[in-house]
Amino acid sequence: MNHPTSSTTWWACALSESVNDKKPLAVVCNGQALALFRNAAGVAFALEDRCPHRRVPLSLGTVKPGGLQCGYHGWTFDGASGACNAIPNLRDTERVPPRYGARAYPIAEAGGFVHVGLGEGRPADALPGAGYRPQGKEFTGSATVSAAHGEYLAAMLDGPECLLAFDGVRMTDFFLGDPRREGDRLVLERGAVWKSQMLPSNFVVDYPLMVRTAVALAGGAIQVDLLDADASPLVTVLMGASPNRRGTTSLCWRGFRHATRLPGAPLRWRGARALGKPPFEVFDQIQGAALAALLVAPSRELQAARAELALPVPVPASAAA
Amino acid sequence: MIATILAEAPPVEAPRKAPRRDWTPINYDLRDTWFPVSHSRDVSERPIRRIIHAQAYFLWRQHGRPMAAEFRPDQLERLRPQASAFTGGSGLYPVVERYGYLWAWYGNPEHADARQIPHIPFLPLDGSLPGYTQRTVRFDATSALSVENLIDLTHADFLHANTIGDGISDSDVVEVEWTSETVTRTRTVTQKSVAPIMRWVGGVRARFQDFRAVLHVHLRSNVCVSYPRFRPGYDVPNLQPFLPVGKHRSRGDVTFNTTAAPAPFRYVMPRIAYVIQPQDNSVVRPQNATYFEPGERPDLHSRFDTPGTRYRFQMEQLAARQRRGEMAYGADADPERDISALLGMKD
Repeated sequence: MNHPTSSTTWWACALSESVNDKKPLAVVCNGQALALFRNAAGVAFALEDRCPHRRVPLSLGTVKPGGLQCGYHGWTFDGASGACNAIPNLRDTERVPPRYGARAYPIAEAGGFVHVGLGEGRPADALPGAGYRPQGKEFTGSATVSAAHGEYLAAMLDGPECLLAFDGVRMTDFFLGDPRREGDRLVLERGAVWKSQMLPSNFVVDYPLMVRTAVALAGGAIQVDLLDADASPLVTVLMGASPNRRGTTSLCWRGFRHATRLPGAPLRWRGARALGKPPFEVFDQIQGAALAALLVAPSRELQAARAELALPVPVPASAAA
Repeated sequence: MIATILAEAPPVEAPRKAPRRDWTPINYDLRDTWFPVSHSRDVSERPIRRIIHAQAYFLWRQHGRPMAAEFRPDQLERLRPQASAFTGGSGLYPVVERYGYLWAWYGNPEHADARQIPHIPFLPLDGSLPGYTQRTVRFDATSALSVENLIDLTHADFLHANTIGDGISDSDVVEVEWTSETVTRTRTVTQKSVAPIMRWVGGVRARFQDFRAVLHVHLRSNVCVSYPRFRPGYDVPNLQPFLPVGKHRSRGDVTFNTTAAPAPFRYVMPRIAYVIQPQDNSVVRPQNATYFEPGERPDLHSRFDTPGTRYRFQMEQLAARQRRGEMAYGADADPERDISALLGMKD
């Protein structure tokens, strides 16, 4: 189920490198099926994934100089306006009715993400990917996970260990305070320890690590940082999350390891860093039992914050009980 | 940023005008018609099961005689009290064997009349065609959308370009005529690029060919009688009956009478369905689901959709008549009339 916003919002719905000028990319962003493609100059476009002729997905078509050509009967649509500019086999004297077209959506790129504006008009908020500045090698991916969008956002606050992992790190569920509002995001830290640590995490005097999760109140962007004890970032992951069909969530992410040196890090972690191994993993399969076992705790603030902003609240089923 | 979201109450929306009622191909359950429910060769003493709309048809032979019933033969006596109006309570459907098919009646059995079986001039009445002419294909769409796919052949220029060829031609004229029970589409293309299958399998060496394709559709049953002619090239007459198997699927036990064409074309052409059908399914499968969604935007059309929009209109008219209880065939309809000339066979 998609979450309608009371105003237009940017959604990070695809990685920039996933969109090309040959074959359109089908995505579902906040419940809206879209076909993303580029022209020969590399400019990206977003059209509804539905040909207005006979409703066949435009993502089954082909990118042409004139725009996106439907794979069924060849109607072609301009990327910027969505206007139909060609119907095959029409004579030169015949014109396409000017009202014929597919819906086109505002689109913008930043930080390696393709953002689409959903709602009425062009979004006024900042692009979720605008602040993302990777250092060195990036690790990217996309997936559709079997958790509803609201549950996914809530789990990011209540138990992100169900959704992703940092190499060699165990996240605890000891929240370091309550979630706080930072602009249009809800931010929370929790303690973390090295997996190689002998002492159980409950008895650690001060956590050597922290995990910070920041969940956007609108638009579905999520940032997860692994921090050292001084709150210096070690790993950053930026994700776009949006409702897909049948209670699933579409994800796309980019992340990197910071140049920060950590003298006390385990040898294994430093070795993985030297070898350029991925410092994190976003799960494309979520353990249902683990998710169901999460108690609703910090995510209550998410519901309250969204209610305060008069945004529809994606209520997790567990909180409704 | 956030304050702007808080500030304004949503504007009062202007009252929406009622959306124009659009075509919904999923809802056509038309009665009192014959369906070619199976190839004759597939029916033996061992019963097989077919579905028409939501009605089960068990088919078998009893001492060589074709039988069609609501229940398996071994359960017929026991379940006969549950028989529906489709069999008048007998459990047995009217059935006729013709053109290499078992035709079963769907509707009020008292109205069954063999004169309403469509005339198919290129199939022998006794069905004596070689087995290579017959194939079974399944479509991931309701039968009406499958028929639309066949009516608008311009899709072949894109979806089937690697077998049937592209849309480059000197001229492309589409015409339509109709009765209250049928729609006939004629597409005439001149100097078209030769279809790959004609060139590489059929041995046509010319660069261009002319193409005339007539499709005659019986609306109640969506039986499609097709006569494409390629010059230079061959005639490829075919019967494509789109049996409705519920709202989401249809089945085609097709016959391509390619017996007059040379080898290997006569053997390969009927098998082209194995290439064509997945290509068609790639579009009709997602397409079908969208017609369940109540939307405000009716489909758009070009002049090449004239036969398709006529088909939609005639289906709507027929469905409206049946909703009023008018089940008789229209006065202008005569399913068994000779359509050889209509198909262009005598040209």
